[in-house]
Amino acid sequence: MADDAGGGGADVAVGRRAFRQVGRGAAAWAVVFGGTAAASALTYVTSFPTLASRQELAVTTSSASGLGALLGPIAAVDTVGGYTVYKSFVFLTTIGAIWAVLASTRLLRGEEDTGRWQLVLAGDTRPARATAATLAGLGAAIGLIFCGTTAILALVGRNPDLGFGVGESVLYGLSIAIAPLVFAGVGAVTSQLGRTRRLATGLGIGVFGVMFALRMIADSSAHTQWLRWLTPFGWTELVRPFTANDPWPLLPAGVVTIALCVTAGILASRRDAGDGVLASRDVSDLRPFGLGSPSGLAARLELPLLGAWCGGAAVAAFALGIVAKLTTAKVPGSLGDTLENFGVKGSFADQFFGVAFLLVATLVALLPAGQIGAAFEEETSGRLVHLLARPTHRARLLGGRLALAAAGILAAGLLAGPAAWLGARTQGVELDLGRMLQAGLNVVPTALIALGIGAVTLSVAPRAAVKAVYGVVIGSLLVDLLASMVSGLTWMGHVSLFHYLALAPAQDPEARTVAVTIAVALALCVLATILFGRRDVRSK
Amino acid sequence: MEDSPILTEQLTKRYGSTTALDSLDLEIEQGEVFGYLGPNGAGKSTTLALLLGLIRPTSGQARIFGLDAWRDAPAIHRRVAYVPSEANLWPSLTGAEALRFLGTVHGSVDGAYRDELLGRFELTPDKKIRAYSHGNRQKVLLIAAFASRADLLLLDEPTSGLDPLMERVFQACVREARDRGQTVLLSSHILSEVDAVCDRVAMLRGGRIIETGRLDVLRGLAALHVHAQLGGPVPDLAGLPGVTNVVVDGEAVECDVVGSIQPLLRVLTGAGVEHLTTREPSLEELFLSHYGAGHGATGSGR
Repeated sequence: MADDAGGGGADVAVGRRAFRQVGRGAAAWAVVFGGTAAASALTYVTSFPTLASRQELAVTTSSASGLGALLGPIAAVDTVGGYTVYKSFVFLTTIGAIWAVLASTRLLRGEEDTGRWQLVLAGDTRPARATAATLAGLGAAIGLIFCGTTAILALVGRNPDLGFGVGESVLYGLSIAIAPLVFAGVGAVTSQLGRTRRLATGLGIGVFGVMFALRMIADSSAHTQWLRWLTPFGWTELVRPFTANDPWPLLPAGVVTIALCVTAGILASRRDAGDGVLASRDVSDLRPFGLGSPSGLAARLELPLLGAWCGGAAVAAFALGIVAKLTTAKVPGSLGDTLENFGVKGSFADQFFGVAFLLVATLVALLPAGQIGAAFEEETSGRLVHLLARPTHRARLLGGRLALAAAGILAAGLLAGPAAWLGARTQGVELDLGRMLQAGLNVVPTALIALGIGAVTLSVAPRAAVKAVYGVVIGSLLVDLLASMVSGLTWMGHVSLFHYLALAPAQDPEARTVAVTIAVALALCVLATILFGRRDVRSK
Repeated sequence: MEDSPILTEQLTKRYGSTTALDSLDLEIEQGEVFGYLGPNGAGKSTTLALLLGLIRPTSGQARIFGLDAWRDAPAIHRRVAYVPSEANLWPSLTGAEALRFLGTVHGSVDGAYRDELLGRFELTPDKKIRAYSHGNRQKVLLIAAFASRADLLLLDEPTSGLDPLMERVFQACVREARDRGQTVLLSSHILSEVDAVCDRVAMLRGGRIIETGRLDVLRGLAALHVHAQLGGPVPDLAGLPGVTNVVVDGEAVECDVVGSIQPLLRVLTGAGVEHLTTREPSLEELFLSHYGAGHGATGSGR
């Protein structure tokens, strides 16, 4: 007699499977999150050992609302806890939110895209229950992030110089878990709305962009601080662990997360499997654009994603331009010293944009991940075989994809500078358009290197290609920040991609460095096409 | 003289310690419809991937129209059309757009024939791929392949999603292709389909060819099934050469005979045979005789 798992047995299996799919990544992020926060705290007690030095830092940053908009809340930075929150806020919340959107849409819409979700629904479960079980699995993974972060911080916090209480560490862990929790819910809802994983992810990232911009505006002046209550990043900020220790912002975070998950379950139960809530036409006249070549079709299929990345880079740069006024209007003379840790010089506006464009550079350098991911998906889905079984040269095929990604990177770079200029101009800040255009284009070579690394990985270890791009870019950023913050770790900066990026407009890009960077990127892309021509093609 | 459409010599593909295809020697002549049979994992799809230059052989070589399948892949593909078993296409394209794109990339398409095939396969071309059933997506690939008028058609289980009516259309298209001088390699599990359209077959097991030849010859080499109704008791047939599987039912007897039927006929005639029928084995029986109990695939192929 067959075993009867009983009611709910299938849901438990679904939840376990979801956890297995994302648990390992969550454990890695738990280490990164806890480690980053602990490193910030330890760096602080080393770099600012005296009360006087801490008070000077507090005075330096207290009126820098522009910097707050950029890097997160500035409060009580004369304490270890306040500084730790300030230093790690923007990166941990950003990473947590994006990871959650990607994980949630992968587990829900991604499974549906492949048809595996339909297999699950053929078992002893219903759409709402399976959705809830999947989200429970994802919630457990986020719980892992919370536990890991809290444990590491509580452990390091036993150091008397830090003096973190266990309760405070728990609250910090909870504040960090807000972004992944809420955005897991966002991804769950967009997975019901969009008919494809790509659309669901795009919608989720769009919500992230709006919420992040809202947080930036909220942190840019005292008049807009109330906006913090409208965004998950604001809730994280308002908890202020180690200083204010206010648990109330956890309430809206919990309520919104539950509301989003319930909404996702209801939507899942009311739609057909394989379909999305957002209507899309299944019948269309022939649209000839992009049907003339594989590269043309790649352009046609990838334009929405490339447009979103370029738009995202432009919007981010525009937002940075807007907050630049607040920065230049209120800057105390000594704040420049803080930014000079990054090696930037010139007027404060130039210094501000020099560091600010590091964020734009990160965003643009992550653009190749989408294109490399699309190439990998084309291969594993079996669609690449349709092209390679026809008279198509492999090198030309991959080269076309890489050229498309490079064009997207160039477009994003071209848009970013003028967008920042325009943002600043709307606030009455006069900047040199030529220098801002140069600052935007300056991020292109670094992004091309990320593209080259992704392409080579695609050619030798396809499954690791997207992770390689994310790893190199995010890792470079973390290393660069760490090297700029801790004088003893300056040597580390050399392994960061961003080490070779002039912080324009505060630094003038060196023609030789730019040329070498582009040459290395080109060499990596050529190597990738050669290697791609020599390996077996994967297919279903 | 034109080179063979397909010629492989000791073609081998290994993945680590697993041998997916083992020393394949195969030659297919122009204008031939060649059936490629084998259980799951026997190495059929691996063979096609090697012939298309999608994967590199571990040893041996495959030549298509005299060109090296790996090194000269793009040149070869101008004369080849391929239909994989998984009909994964671009979900956001319509059927018409997919056909336009595939035709453009291939470089040759008979537009009039394509339009005719759209009608024969009853495909609605303005629907998006994501709205098509599995069978309809297969139709898109089949139409693209046949409309290319390629010299060599490589078909890897191309009809698993088609209904019986469309299966007949497919078989008619294969025959038309053969009549035009095109060569077809048909990898299939549907034995009636292979029986209906193939001139020769090869049977693959565990990455090796275990039988190859014309279907009628293979049938001749296989056991003949005999049913006889006698006018009295059935004599003992067990000792006769080539006679196996003897089943006696009253005054009737059934058995299989390999080789000459003369000894059996002599005994049956002596026993007063009243009615005698013989039947050649079906392809399914041939298949089962090779892959039946104890003869399954090793599962090493891909």
